[in-house]
Amino acid sequence: MAQPTEGPRSGVIHDIGYRPYTGPRLGTGAAARSLFVTGLLNAYGIGRSGRAKGLPMTLLAMMLVPAAIMVAVMVTLGLTEGFLDYGSYPVTLMLVIVIFVAAQAPVLFSRDLRSGAISLYLARPLPATSYALVRWASLFVAILVFIGLPVTVLYVGALTAEADVSEHTGDYLAAMVGIVLLSAVLATLSGLVAAHTRRRGLAVGVTIIALLVSTGVVSAVQAITSQQGNETAGLVVGLLSPFSLVDGVQAELLGGQSSFMVPPDTTGWGLLYLVVCLAVVAAGLWLLVRYYRKQAGR
Amino acid sequence: MGIIETQGLTKRYGQVTALEGLDLVLDDGVTGLVGANGAGKSTLIKILLGLLGATQGTAQVFGHDIRAEGAQIRTLVGYMPEHDCLPPDVRAIDFVVHMARMSGLPPTAARERAADVLRHVGLAEERYRLMGGYSTGMKQRAKLAQALVHDPRLVFLDEPTNGLDPAARDDMLALVSKIGREFGISVLVTSHLLGELERVSDHVVVLDGGRLLRSSATTEFTSDTGLLLVEVLGDGDAQTAMGERLAAHGIPCRPRGQLIEINAPGRADLHDLIRDTAVEVGVGLVRLAADHRRIEDVFREGAGHGAAH
Repeated sequence: MAQPTEGPRSGVIHDIGYRPYTGPRLGTGAAARSLFVTGLLNAYGIGRSGRAKGLPMTLLAMMLVPAAIMVAVMVTLGLTEGFLDYGSYPVTLMLVIVIFVAAQAPVLFSRDLRSGAISLYLARPLPATSYALVRWASLFVAILVFIGLPVTVLYVGALTAEADVSEHTGDYLAAMVGIVLLSAVLATLSGLVAAHTRRRGLAVGVTIIALLVSTGVVSAVQAITSQQGNETAGLVVGLLSPFSLVDGVQAELLGGQSSFMVPPDTTGWGLLYLVVCLAVVAAGLWLLVRYYRKQAGR
Repeated sequence: MGIIETQGLTKRYGQVTALEGLDLVLDDGVTGLVGANGAGKSTLIKILLGLLGATQGTAQVFGHDIRAEGAQIRTLVGYMPEHDCLPPDVRAIDFVVHMARMSGLPPTAARERAADVLRHVGLAEERYRLMGGYSTGMKQRAKLAQALVHDPRLVFLDEPTNGLDPAARDDMLALVSKIGREFGISVLVTSHLLGELERVSDHVVVLDGGRLLRSSATTEFTSDTGLLLVEVLGDGDAQTAMGERLAAHGIPCRPRGQLIEINAPGRADLHDLIRDTAVEVGVGLVRLAADHRRIEDVFREGAGHGAAH
């Protein structure tokens, strides 16, 4: 039986006899589910070092505090009409979202590549394609929770403040569809950057700059073009940032309010925005899968 | 049928040939895979795991084809890579449990086996520490634990003694030997140090520049060469005097370092003759021993053979 470790020398090999494993072995589905859950928890620092929990938890609190304050205002003052706009919440807190996405995508996409753990994953039954897709799914759901949770808090708060249920439910669901799209686009772009840069610092920098600069460019160009009365140029530029892209979809197709200067005003433009969203996700996933399949040979 | 079989396995990276027409049949037990750096050891393991595609040829692990049934092979084998592969911000216990889950073990079984296996490799209290703070020896143990956690039928250990101090090296070799003999798990272990594998493996495969130099039981490598080694001590150049006298008696011999190598297999009176010759010359007979091969000799012969082509 197990003997106590003797003396200061570590690494004494205990002789307790080897027991072979005869129990059930689950398929790749179970492995994929386990990888998904572990990845999702890791994105919030759970199951990692204590320090790793600091940033994601702080950012999540920063996302929730404004929602909590708004709920408090609604409940105490009985303000329910025209006070809330679920769809614009993510755009208002864009900076916090961008920092979360940029900082946590490397946890799922750079860490295994950098530490070499990828070769342990690929030496197990789950194929590289599934590995890449599950990693993406973890990041997608992590971002979805990050953005969706405060919006859900707002919604629940509005219901407790006895707001109009049908109206708020419709707005909330429309906003959530937009948030799902936004999470998918952000997960894809940040995942691609993190996998290819491999270095956490670099990935964080590139993602933050790309997301903020693209959104800044959209706002600036739309301001100029709308003054010149050139709406088409403004609409085309709106395709460049994930935030304006998804904002356009939820404003035009889902009946939400836009937070940008030049939202799509016809169904055609709305559909184009949607198609671009889905194309970005599809192309990004294809690139990610291709990248991870190449890693097998390393 | 062997657990690993390859037929004409070839891997080329552009102009560089990593493996060339490898035909192998390996049985269970501990098999040592020896070769210099770049001889194709790691490439062979990666091809057998289905991580790398072979340029030509086929191979089977437990009868599963490497191209078509990679997933089945990967459920049956464990892999300990040569390079670093541990995320620094995770505790060893959590990581090994996670890896067990990735091999399809249910949650409870994964936790039990992870704790068991970490104990077997000699990580006791340290398993609750983040792996980023581990010494090389502890990292090697954690890497070994994740390779064994799902109770594979075969483990590929790529340079498990790399970077270890002599004591840790001995521990690791003892562990490798134990995995093969007590745990009942077949082992394919690579090293560029021949002496190490001589100690632990039942069978040794020697690769040189991607080609198979030799594959045979360890005992064959270390078998009797049929030569006799004689060491004498005396005034002046005792060795030369003894050698010349032996030659005069018609015994083929030549110097090897401080020894005299006698190549006269089958002569029944050889030992007596050597003794008498030593008395004649007036030198002291220090040693008279049969010459045993070492794995290094095979390497040297093989490499010399290759250069002659």
